[in-house]
Amino acid sequence: MFVKRALAVMLAGTATLALATAAQAQSAASETTAGTSISNTASATYTVNGAPQTATSTTATFVVDRKVNFTVVTTQTGFTQVNLGQQDAVTTFRVTNLTNGVQDFLLDPDQQNISVGILPGTDNFDLTNLRAFADSNNNGIYDPGVDTATWIDELAPDASVTVFIVGNVPNQAGAQLAFDSLHVTAAAGGSTAVKGTALVATDLNLGNADNTVDIVFADDDSDGLLYLGDIARNGQGRAYAGYQVVTTNVALSVMKSVRVLDDGVNTLNPKAIPGATLEYCLRVANATLTTPADAVTLTDIVPTHTTYVPGSISIGTPGVLGIACVASGSPEDDDADDSGDSDGAIANYDAGTKTLTARLDRVAGGGSTAVSFKVKID
Amino acid sequence: MFRSPFPLTAVALAAVALPAAAAAAPGPLQISSRVMVETRARAADGTTRLALAPARRVVPGDRVTVVLAYRNTGAQPLAGVTLDNPIPRGLVYRAPAPGSAAPAVSLDGRRYAALDQLRVALPGGGTRAAVPDDVTHVRWRLDRPLTAGGGGEFAFQAVLH
Repeated sequence: MFVKRALAVMLAGTATLALATAAQAQSAASETTAGTSISNTASATYTVNGAPQTATSTTATFVVDRKVNFTVVTTQTGFTQVNLGQQDAVTTFRVTNLTNGVQDFLLDPDQQNISVGILPGTDNFDLTNLRAFADSNNNGIYDPGVDTATWIDELAPDASVTVFIVGNVPNQAGAQLAFDSLHVTAAAGGSTAVKGTALVATDLNLGNADNTVDIVFADDDSDGLLYLGDIARNGQGRAYAGYQVVTTNVALSVMKSVRVLDDGVNTLNPKAIPGATLEYCLRVANATLTTPADAVTLTDIVPTHTTYVPGSISIGTPGVLGIACVASGSPEDDDADDSGDSDGAIANYDAGTKTLTARLDRVAGGGSTAVSFKVKID
Repeated sequence: MFRSPFPLTAVALAAVALPAAAAAAPGPLQISSRVMVETRARAADGTTRLALAPARRVVPGDRVTVVLAYRNTGAQPLAGVTLDNPIPRGLVYRAPAPGSAAPAVSLDGRRYAALDQLRVALPGGGTRAAVPDDVTHVRWRLDRPLTAGGGGEFAFQAVLH
């Protein structure tokens, strides 16, 4: 039998740094796959008294361990722009496997309630029902009902997959900015359609059984030293994105017109003479197609030399210009108590200041609403 | 293959914790192959020492040292001893290990020379100087007969691809 012999001279060296760099620049796909067994055997030739002979060395074998490395980044520029009440608003991320082997990755969507500083601005609201999905059909777009995988299955070395965080924007006044982050954890791969368990690095202090695949975390600190969302070599990664309620104003315009309804003398073409009744018409138009304007309030002071006709306020869909101000309006009372009013639109008239106030419930994106009221010329 | 008529007399001095495969057929020239990694250990005086330990946790990009220890266990001197080590698949040759004689290297397993004397043919014609990545075999030759009981070590450094 062969007897192994101790190394008589310890080899020690300092010419080390330059050696490793070239191989580290390689891609994960070209790296030796974890679990590969590498064996070294030398052979020798020699002569004994002129007779040629050969010899073969023992074989030294080691198993290539798993060097877990991956990146997670957001692939969108700036914030996702949303409207209040929007469902399934998406922020987009990308996970790339740089491990020398196939891996699963667990996905965990997180709210970032504090301002993380990585993104501009200050977080001031949270989305509801935050979920993370892998892009199953690999088209880069979130497809509800199609992209339903909540973890990344069997990602090959150097392969990437898009991940969506999907959430609902609450109807919360003042909501402007919500940060979110995708927290990714490396998990055991090897079984298709089976969600692997999170990898645990092999204890560096434990004696390693040879011929087993150790797990070595080699991932970077994905959010920098200042932020504690991720640290280096933990088998996890995190990237940040956000939602911005960007439309905080709409193109709202008011057009005011007046027409004489009746002057008590002429039935045709009534004139603006004392005693005549005039109808003022205020048309509010929202030219921003995608965003409604809520709680639009109009105030109008009744002109001097005219007297407001009590109970004449009507609010509703605009009629044909020049013929009818309000096509199907709801009459509003003049007092300030609108508790009995249920249609959302309310109005009142203050005789002291001669001020008329009309509060429209909502002017839809691209829509318009009209308010009419009548005065008599003194 | 040569069968040694001599009983093995070498004595195990210390355990080497590598799973050396079954030894080659017993012959006067015994060669053991080991793959080691450099480890940093803190010495009592506060300095950091580099030592070699058996390669157990090796991931791509790590540097390993392949050590060949040879010994003439026979009673007669061995002449013209040549040790030839093909670089295992997955390892990339880097340099002779410190303290070891530099091997002659080969790009094809046939022609051996110093690295700076080898050139690689380019696909479009012409040649370029060979670099360590090109090396496929290393070889050491003893220029003097290996006396009975004599032995020594050669080593080279490589990087796991």
